[in-house]
Amino acid sequence: MSKKKIATVWLGGCSGCHMSILDIDERILEVAKLADIVKCPIVDGKELPEVDIVLVEGSVTSDEHLREIHHIRKQAKALVALGDCAVTSNITGMRNYFELEDVFEAAYVKAVSNDKKGSVPNHPELLKLRDKVVPLQEVVKVDFVIPGCPPDADTIFYVLFEFLNDRVPNLSEVKKLKYG
Amino acid sequence: MNRQELQTIITAETAINIYNKYKHKLCVCCGAGCISSGAEDVLKKLEEEIKTRGLENEVEVIATGCMGPCNQGPLIKYLPDHTIYQKVDCSNIKAIVQSQLIEKKPIEDLLLFADSRPKPFIDAREDPYFKKQMKIALKDCGHINPEKIEDYLANDGYQAFDKVLFQMSPEDVIAEIKQSRLRGRGGAGYPTGLKWETVYKYVSKQKYVICNGDEGDPGAFMDRSVLEGNPHRVLEGMCIAAYAVGANKGYVYIRGEYPLAIKRIELAIKQAKKLGLLGTNILGTDFSFDVEVRIGAGAFVCGEETALIASIEGKRGTPKPRPPFPAESGLWGKPTLINNVETFASIVPVINNGGEWYSEIGTPKSAGTKIFALAGKINYSGLIEVPMGTTLREIVFDIGGGIQGGGEFKAAQTGGPSGGCIPAEHLDVKMDYESLISLGSIMGSGGLIVMDKSSDMVDVARYFMEFCMDESCGKCVPCRVGTKMMHDLLQKICNDKGTTIDLERLEELAVYVKECSLCGLGASAPNPLLSTLRHFRNEYENRITE
Amino acid sequence: MPKIAVTIDDKKLDVDAGKTILEICRENGIEILTMCHLKGLTDVGACRLCLVEIEGINKLLSACTTKIAANMVIKTQTEKIKRYQNITCELFYAERNHVCSVCVANGKCDLQKLGYKTEMDHIRYPYLFPQCNVDTSHAWYVLDHNRCIMCTRCVRVCAEVEGAHNWNVMNRGNKVRIISDFDTPWGESETCTSCGKCVHACPTGAIWPKAIVQGQLEKKPEMITELIEKRKMNL
Repeated sequence: MSKKKIATVWLGGCSGCHMSILDIDERILEVAKLADIVKCPIVDGKELPEVDIVLVEGSVTSDEHLREIHHIRKQAKALVALGDCAVTSNITGMRNYFELEDVFEAAYVKAVSNDKKGSVPNHPELLKLRDKVVPLQEVVKVDFVIPGCPPDADTIFYVLFEFLNDRVPNLSEVKKLKYG
Repeated sequence: MNRQELQTIITAETAINIYNKYKHKLCVCCGAGCISSGAEDVLKKLEEEIKTRGLENEVEVIATGCMGPCNQGPLIKYLPDHTIYQKVDCSNIKAIVQSQLIEKKPIEDLLLFADSRPKPFIDAREDPYFKKQMKIALKDCGHINPEKIEDYLANDGYQAFDKVLFQMSPEDVIAEIKQSRLRGRGGAGYPTGLKWETVYKYVSKQKYVICNGDEGDPGAFMDRSVLEGNPHRVLEGMCIAAYAVGANKGYVYIRGEYPLAIKRIELAIKQAKKLGLLGTNILGTDFSFDVEVRIGAGAFVCGEETALIASIEGKRGTPKPRPPFPAESGLWGKPTLINNVETFASIVPVINNGGEWYSEIGTPKSAGTKIFALAGKINYSGLIEVPMGTTLREIVFDIGGGIQGGGEFKAAQTGGPSGGCIPAEHLDVKMDYESLISLGSIMGSGGLIVMDKSSDMVDVARYFMEFCMDESCGKCVPCRVGTKMMHDLLQKICNDKGTTIDLERLEELAVYVKECSLCGLGASAPNPLLSTLRHFRNEYENRITE
Repeated sequence: MPKIAVTIDDKKLDVDAGKTILEICRENGIEILTMCHLKGLTDVGACRLCLVEIEGINKLLSACTTKIAANMVIKTQTEKIKRYQNITCELFYAERNHVCSVCVANGKCDLQKLGYKTEMDHIRYPYLFPQCNVDTSHAWYVLDHNRCIMCTRCVRVCAEVEGAHNWNVMNRGNKVRIISDFDTPWGESETCTSCGKCVHACPTGAIWPKAIVQGQLEKKPEMITELIEKRKMNL
């Protein structure tokens, strides 16, 4: 049996979910027996090849994220939303109660800073933020969700292990459902 | 006042009427519709004209309630011939008086529907608009002065109350109402007799009767017209109800947007009190009953009975779960009878003519007549009263004169934001409670909005959902959040951004909100959506992108 | 108290007459989900989680406000009821701005527990993201509208137990908000006695004491029930 391919992607999130992935510790060896991790913020791979499972951390906050998530959807057999930001937009979504302009204003102009003049950065190479942050399921079909901020390493390992053994995980059954 | 004194007044007033003190009567419609098109000026001008010509002893000028064809106003009706002049303005008055009263021939060009019928009718009762109607609740509306109790008395006013007080026991009254098979005209169609009996059976020293005049459906104005046109009829109905169920205090709850109706019912109460028809020991009996007016502050949900009761109690107008029903524990926890304006207006004829007579009008399950407020893309909009079981086709085409500009009928919305749409293939549906429910709509309070081909049904559903979303009281989750979600999804589809998943969510939410909401507002809020989905699903599907 | 025979979820029971369906179910170990119910306070039937099916009645009734009657056949766990509970739970989350990870009630929140019980792993409906204020004007407590689910337990505990009537509800539809007095800042309230009962009555992190941080909130709603019961006994 050929090994499965796994990727993890970091969109609009704090990387806490990836820290939790790291927390699966030596169990990574069991994952490695069944699969290759072909792309991950800590694995140097520029392009996302076709994969069996992709874990996506974070929500869609910019045009770049939107392009990326559509590409991910195309490349992945199973798309797993990892963590509250990917599932509900969570903390990244807290700017949704305000107009984007006001958010920039608060962050760059009104904020207490050494830069007395304070202006909103406006360089063509910078990410272009979308008006509202949305969770993954608002823009693509999501196959499985792991809520939690961050999800426990145990939960992540459980989900991965089940998928790699061609079983469908059930978080509620194993009492691993957790928000926040 | 005792009974004898009242009879003397009635006889005197009737005598004036019968022996024709005035040979001619000119009725000027002063319903809110005609007033807004200038009826008050017309009335003033007419009175001046009659005076100038010295006809004031022959001709009586009466400011009446609604005559029906509201979009043809201001209207003047000449009695005894029942000749109606439409779209009258002050410049026509001289000509009308000269021609009708002096030369004794009507002005054809000004007759009702002169601009749309090949040959208008001199006796308006012959016109299909009136011929297909049967005015029971609105009987005196349009030829008596709603601000004069004497006019009402002269037209058999308070005779039913007198009969009830002196010849019938409460049980008799309830039996009569039950026999009439009258059902609540507020929308749900609960049998009125059964409701009265339930309240009657609860033992309590204090009971209440409430008249629900918080008519809030967009496009509906039945209750307003009844209260404006004949407030004493409603008051008399309440008195009879109070006698039957054993109540001694009544409230008329009217929405604040109806200043004229409020003014007229308050005047009616004052007049009735003065004649001893309200108060303690009415007409020398030991029955006492008093009525007060309560004015609503603009919340649609206060038309829901438990919310209305909370509002009268001075609390925030939010509904309560039923049971317990108001009949058991209503206003201030006491047994309370709450009926709609039109229901109360239908009581007097039932008592006067007997329950059997009433039960033979209409259909076996829905007896009597129903008032509808015709509105929308129809030629003759206004207030009509038809026997139950009249088909929608008769209402739209025979009475309403068809679609404006010769357009094509697409759908009719009954029951306002709680009702549904009836498409063209069901034009022959009988307008009664059960038939409308089987089509996914409801009778509702009587709003009937006609739509032509230019109407976008998804947008219609979105409009009514927006109404419900804004008017939800915010107490229970399904209605508060569900209507907002459904509205946003409908808006998305209207913007051509909806997906198949959105449509699935919409349908799931609609059923959920319908089944789980606390009160009737939420439970019926998805109806326009569900009925447009049922009859016009293709319009939704055409706007969906994958 | 006279006993009557009823059937709940196919179990035949002899129960006290005069009690609500919810009381009977809880006494007999039948789990019914609730959010707006707090034992001792007047029930309002607002959250619609406790809806049950009753044979012969064509609509769902809230268990907390419906009195049990002889020979009732009640079903509390049907597929339909469970489906509706799931939707209600999702709507609770989507309505306001519930961000568990920054909430003082994280891990001790009734809304979170409800989510776990209904096995909700995500919310299918788009979040509404309304703009909500946080009232920090009171010396000791905070009211955060972002986390309020409009159960009105605070309103009722303030009126019925403390008798202060500080809390009320304003506006309609999804714009409803809990207000202090006539929508004055809580700290300027003339009626609030700062008793803190609303803090314990609140099932989420909407009302909380200032001295704590994320995940530290301890609430004791059972204290309110105990207080009401002891008052009834005149203790």
